[in-house]
Amino acid sequence: MELRVQPRATAHVPWVLVVGVLLTAAVGIYNLASASRPPASPVWMSQVLYLGVGVGMVIGVALLDYRLIQRATVPLYLLNIGALIALKFFGHTAKGAESWFVIGPFRVQPAEFMKLGMVLMLAKYFHDDDRPNQPAQGFMRLLPAAVISLFPTALVLVQPDLGTALMMVFTAVTIIMFSRPTWPVNAALAVAVVLGVGVLWNDYVREQPAQDEQRFTIIRHKLKKHQDARITGWLDPMSDLRGSNYHAMQSKIAVGSGGWSGKGWMEGTQTGLRFLPEQHTDFIFSVFAEEQGFARCLVLLALFGVILLGGLGVALSAKERYGAFVAVGICAMIFWQVFENIGMVTGLLPITGITLPLMSYGGSSMVSVMLGIGLLVNVSMRRQIFRG
Amino acid sequence: MRLGLGTQREPKELRPRIFMVGGFFLLGLLVLAVNLYRLMVVRYEEFLALSVDNQFKDVRVRAPRGLIRDRRGEVLVDARPSLDVFITPAFCQKCVAEVIPRLQALLAWDLEQTDRVVDLVKAARGPQRYQQIVVQVDLTRDEFDLLNSHQFQLPGVDLEPVPHRHYRAGAALAHVVGYMNEVTSDELSKLNGGADEARPPYAMGDYTGRRGVERTFEQSLRGQDGWVKQVVNARGELMRDASGNALKRDEVPPRAGRNLVLSIDARLQAEAERVFPGTAGAVVAVEANTGFIRAIVSRPSFDPNEMTGRMSPQQLVQLSRDPLQPMLFRATAQHYSPGSTFKVVTLLAALRAGVVTPQTGITCTGGYQLGSRRWRCDLERGHGSVHAVDAIRASCDVYFYRLADLLGIDPIAAVGHDFGLGNPTNFGVGGEVPGVMPSSEYHDRVTKGGYTKGMALNTSIGQGDVNVTPLQLAMLYATIANGGHLYQPQIVERIETPEGKLVEDFKPRLVREVAMTPEQRATIIAGLIGVVNEPGGTGFRARLPDVVVAGKTGTAQVARIGAVRLKTHELSYWQRDNAWFASFAPADAPELVVVVLNEHSGFGGAEAAPTAGAIIKKYFELKKTDAEAYGLEYQPPKAPTTLKVPLLMPPLEAPRDDARAGLAQQAHAPDAGPGRATFAGAPPPPPPPAEAPPRPHPAEPVDPPSTEGAD
Repeated sequence: MELRVQPRATAHVPWVLVVGVLLTAAVGIYNLASASRPPASPVWMSQVLYLGVGVGMVIGVALLDYRLIQRATVPLYLLNIGALIALKFFGHTAKGAESWFVIGPFRVQPAEFMKLGMVLMLAKYFHDDDRPNQPAQGFMRLLPAAVISLFPTALVLVQPDLGTALMMVFTAVTIIMFSRPTWPVNAALAVAVVLGVGVLWNDYVREQPAQDEQRFTIIRHKLKKHQDARITGWLDPMSDLRGSNYHAMQSKIAVGSGGWSGKGWMEGTQTGLRFLPEQHTDFIFSVFAEEQGFARCLVLLALFGVILLGGLGVALSAKERYGAFVAVGICAMIFWQVFENIGMVTGLLPITGITLPLMSYGGSSMVSVMLGIGLLVNVSMRRQIFRG
Repeated sequence: MRLGLGTQREPKELRPRIFMVGGFFLLGLLVLAVNLYRLMVVRYEEFLALSVDNQFKDVRVRAPRGLIRDRRGEVLVDARPSLDVFITPAFCQKCVAEVIPRLQALLAWDLEQTDRVVDLVKAARGPQRYQQIVVQVDLTRDEFDLLNSHQFQLPGVDLEPVPHRHYRAGAALAHVVGYMNEVTSDELSKLNGGADEARPPYAMGDYTGRRGVERTFEQSLRGQDGWVKQVVNARGELMRDASGNALKRDEVPPRAGRNLVLSIDARLQAEAERVFPGTAGAVVAVEANTGFIRAIVSRPSFDPNEMTGRMSPQQLVQLSRDPLQPMLFRATAQHYSPGSTFKVVTLLAALRAGVVTPQTGITCTGGYQLGSRRWRCDLERGHGSVHAVDAIRASCDVYFYRLADLLGIDPIAAVGHDFGLGNPTNFGVGGEVPGVMPSSEYHDRVTKGGYTKGMALNTSIGQGDVNVTPLQLAMLYATIANGGHLYQPQIVERIETPEGKLVEDFKPRLVREVAMTPEQRATIIAGLIGVVNEPGGTGFRARLPDVVVAGKTGTAQVARIGAVRLKTHELSYWQRDNAWFASFAPADAPELVVVVLNEHSGFGGAEAAPTAGAIIKKYFELKKTDAEAYGLEYQPPKAPTTLKVPLLMPPLEAPRDDARAGLAQQAHAPDAGPGRATFAGAPPPPPPPAEAPPRPHPAEPVDPPSTEGAD
């Protein structure tokens, strides 16, 4: 198997995607330097290191044989699931969640890699399942896909890591929708959305019947207290501002007070006075918005748009289904992560712990995104081999 | 290898769906952008304001309260730093579980105190959690160091020096100066309710004056709080610049409260506290020609330092249950039968009405028959023929019974009312009772069976229903001394800014002129001089070698006299007579009026007069000292011309311990401590026994006071 980069292949490096990623990562480090200004420890330096590792990953993954990856999909998927289960027994507990393995000086978050494993597995399923001129995907044929996606999601959910779990569901649904399901499936999804909204309305929005009377709830009483509080805070932002809703409000204040042009790099008061929780990881976007302003926020969104469209461009040029599904899946993963993170920071979605790709501080996050990008580059480059 | 086969074809059918996915992604980013626009552009102002609110904390800077000084500038009340412990519940992690037990161990709190703190912390809700709660006041230096060294184990616990009102004189002057404590929430709404713009609002936790001048002059003493906009982080910690100064955006400095200058002379006050021997009673020393108080004692007293936020509820209950009522301001808030000190009123009424002249003689046979009842004179064998001056000097009751018989009660009441009896003096500091000046109309209204002549007889010698406060009596004697000007008593001379600039100067306030011819006045004063300076005078113990003191003793019955007249030490404390002495000096040009009331002690001549004498003596000593100090010419008062010094009398009654013993039976004998507090710095000498008149001349025989125990 050749590991040498074929001169022809380098021509197919998705430069738009790569440049978009590098630019975004550079903006991320610049922003992180402000978010981790003294007296906080200057984690942006570590982030530079992680970015270096990430770029190495991209190159490494891009150089792997495409078919090797395809063949390694099932072992990778199972390995990730094994890691998640092992986490239950050997995991490091922080903030009430078992999310990390501590390996030497590093903390590894298996959930970050599970996402990729799931995307690859779904891609493989839809690739293997494909027959020429087949009808659209019906319920029965989607069942394995559902199992592939829901099993790891459930494992992540019980950590508990609601944010990543939600993102995995959204990514899986996006991939399934992409596989062109039959209209009953579409209808079923629509019904699920309606039901979900209905449950939320019933559990959270509906007027409370009476002071002492127990409100009839469907899932609310099953949620953990902090999760419940987050949903309450999302749907009723003005409740409990000093308590559970404090972070959501402070984040909105940070974003909103940025205005058109922002307060300036290192000048954000919400950031400097540490009103933001997790300001260098989950709430990194509030720092950016507060200091850089609306105009540059649009630029950042545009950069993410470039990455997403670059990724979809890879999908478009993929020569077979596996590559296309991988590309779409990775794009969906990035999109949902961006959407969920920025949505949460700006009060559009409930607060769930989730990082902003390329902007948030963290090795696992950076490496998993870069692995995804590497896969995209790989798919893009190896498309020629089928021409022989 | 499975890959390949049918899947080697290009997935062209996926293309439209890729475009759809791309469209969906762009739509999602658009949603985010629109939401950002809404937050960052549309609602920018709102969030900017919130972020500004966030980073600044308005910290109130308490205005220093005005000082209270005596007339010479000696500080009576100021502030001292009290190291207090605060808990801010919002920043106090694991407060109840860990921090409070640690504090309990470090400060050796008892369970009760711990529970109280736990309750306070638990009770804080919402924004209250960001307010500091005082959990302990007045740390010792050692405790402060101990807490300081553990500060990292005590999140949310702050140690701060807080200015605490410091009453330097302790219990002395406590009723007049007053004390402070926290405003209640009811008062807050009341105090801040008015539309008075000039008056700065009160906040929860503010202290306000509760009694005395602290209360009366609250608005002057209280300054206007300032504030500082300080930069704080999310934990409420103050942000500092590189050199450690707190960052602040804006500030309004506080305006300090005004200083009060009292008319009190601290030295005279200290002397009055020292020489007043009573367990309970009052001393008033007032300037005859202005109505300004120079010294005022009300005993027993309380410690305003304790009352100002340092008292436990148990201590308060104990204080309020004390039968001697330490909180009672005896100079104005309690009235007493004036006894013989009232006779000057009866005499003036008679002289005014013309029923007698100063020369008219009335024969005293030891009693006075009115109808079927005989009123006893104190001297059983009678005084013989007495005229006005004699009657005052010897305190002959029969003379006054006769006058009352001639006058009826109403002319006496009219003169009493002229002197301000039966009405509050409007002293304005502390509560005041009006006293009682009975008239026929009063008796018809109040007494069963209505007015009878006997009531006039009782009133004429200051018994019966007539009741005066020590301050009223002082103002009455001041009016006689100054020739008929009844002044309103005052204790605050000036209000000054902290820099000493005059804000308000209080002038003497004349209440009314009391009609009194020079002759009438001279007659009365001659009698009063006789009381102190002549043989047979009851007030000889107030006699001074170089000042002519004029005065009148009084011994007011508290309990009905039984068939047998018991000696004072045979009576229980509460049944003993109240001893009065009302005096002024120098007699020819009066300057100072001193009234002494010694509750339940016995005879005015023995228990009250020496105190007055000592105070007057001190007054002239101080006057001389001040004159020398300031290089002024000191004109000594005219010395008594014919000084007849009596024999050194043995104490008329059992020693004072005995009086205490009577109290002890009530099981509430107060220690000498609280009542005897003296001015800071002046070591309290043991209170001497009633001073014998100075410069005794044992060789020269004088008549023993014939009216022993009778006046």
